[in-house]
Amino acid sequence: MNLYVKNFLKFALIVLLQVLILNKIVLRWWPEPSGFPLFIPNIYPLYILLLPFETPVWALLMLGFAMGITVDAFMNTAGIHAFATVLIAYLRTNVLNALMPRNLSDYINQSPSIKNMGWMPFLVYSSFLILLHHLIFFTIELWNFSNVSYLLLKVLASALTSMLFVIVYLLLFTKQNATR
Amino acid sequence: MRTFILFVRRFFNLILFLALEIVCIMLIARTKTLQGTDIVSSANTVSGLMYKKQNDVVNYFGLRKMNDSLINENAHLRAMLSLSHSYDTLKDIIIRKGLDKADSGHVVHYAEYVYRTARVVNNSISAANNYVTINRGSDDGVNRNMAVISGSGIVGRVVHVSSHFASILSVLSVKQQVSAKLKDGTIGYITWDGERPDVMVMRDVPQQIKVKAGDSVFTTSYSFFPPDIMIGTVFKTETVKKNNLQLLYLKPSTDFRDLQYVYVVENKSDPERKQLEDSVKTKP
Repeated sequence: MNLYVKNFLKFALIVLLQVLILNKIVLRWWPEPSGFPLFIPNIYPLYILLLPFETPVWALLMLGFAMGITVDAFMNTAGIHAFATVLIAYLRTNVLNALMPRNLSDYINQSPSIKNMGWMPFLVYSSFLILLHHLIFFTIELWNFSNVSYLLLKVLASALTSMLFVIVYLLLFTKQNATR
Repeated sequence: MRTFILFVRRFFNLILFLALEIVCIMLIARTKTLQGTDIVSSANTVSGLMYKKQNDVVNYFGLRKMNDSLINENAHLRAMLSLSHSYDTLKDIIIRKGLDKADSGHVVHYAEYVYRTARVVNNSISAANNYVTINRGSDDGVNRNMAVISGSGIVGRVVHVSSHFASILSVLSVKQQVSAKLKDGTIGYITWDGERPDVMVMRDVPQQIKVKAGDSVFTTSYSFFPPDIMIGTVFKTETVKKNNLQLLYLKPSTDFRDLQYVYVVENKSDPERKQLEDSVKTKP
C-alpha cells in the first residue's frame, strides 16, 4: 500500500480509537474516584511517534498540528492538544537521534517500532515523549497551581495508562514478521 | 535580503514550530474566558455526526436506566401538579383557567420558558472544562447562552451552535459560576474546582446561616437558569476563618456520567431583560 494512504488510514484509525472508545472509558468505569483524579488515556500522540524515520521535521510539525486540532475539535479543548502535539513532534527528531546508534537518514523505509529499535529504546522514546505531552497538556488545561500534587498525579496516572494502551496497540497492530 | 532568505531556510523548522505554537496559544487564549468563542468545537458537523452515529449504537445499553429516570421525573411532576391544583392527576381531568388579561392585580407573565428536548451524543467529565454535545442546533431553535437542564438538575449553558448540533459548557467547568440559593433564600454561588465530578462548592454563605447535611440548593432567578431548579444536596460544610463565610460542599443532583436526554430552556423574556440590563450598564 502507498505510504501516504497507509498513514492517512492510520490517522483516521487512531483518531476514532481515541475519540469513540478511549474518551468514553471514564464515563462507565470507576464510579467513585474519591480524590484520585479522573483521566482519559491519550494514544493519539502515538501517530506522531510512529511516522517513518526520514519524515522531514516540517511534515512532522504539520501532521502534529493536524492531529492535535482534530482531537481538539472532538474534545472541545481549543488548541491545547495541538500545542502539546506540535511540541513533541518538534522534539521527536532530537530524542531519536540521541537514542539510535546510527544517523537517522541511514534507516530507509523504516519507522520507529519495537522491531526496529528494540524494546528498551522504544519504550524510553515513547514514554519520554508521552509523559512530556501529558505534562504540557494537563498543565495548560488545568492552569491552576494551587494543587500541584493533584496535577502531577493526574499526569502520571494518565501517562502510565496511555503507555499501557500504546503497548497494547503496538502488539495488536504490528505485523508479525513471517521470515524467521 | 539574501541573508534573510538564508536565515529562514536555515531555521525554517524552528520558525514553523514557533508559528504553529503561537497559533495554538491564540486559540487557547480565546477560550480562557466564558465570553470567548472557540473556533474548533464539537458542535461542528463532522464530529457531531460521528458522535451521533456512535451514540445511536451505545444508546440502547442505557434504556433501563433512562426509563427509571423518566418515571422518577414523572412522579415528581405529578406531585407538583397535584400540589398546585389539588386534583388527582391520575384521573383524566384537565382544567384550563382562562387567563384574565384585564386583571392587572397580578403579573401573568413573569417569564416564559420554552423547553426543547435533546439527546446527549457526547459527554465528558474528566477535563477541567467539560462539554456536552447534543443533537439539536440552530435549526431547532437552540441558541447561544440558553440554559440546559436534565430531569434531575442543572447541566450547563449552550456555548456553540451549528445547524444540527450544539455544545454545552457543563457546570463541571472551572470557568463557569452559577448563582444559587438555599431553601431559606440565602444567596451564594456555585463553583467547581476541576477535580471530582461528584463535588461542587457553594460559596459566599454567611457563617450565621445554619446549614445541615442533606439540605437542597436551588438555582435563582439571577442566573441564566430558570429559578428553583435543584442543583444538589449539601454533604459537608466548612467555615473559612479568614472572612467568616461558609463553604458548602454539594453533591450535584444531575448524574453527569449518565446524561442521556436533556432540556434546552429558552427564556422568552431574556433578550428584553438583557437589553435593559446592558442599557443600565452603559449609562455613564
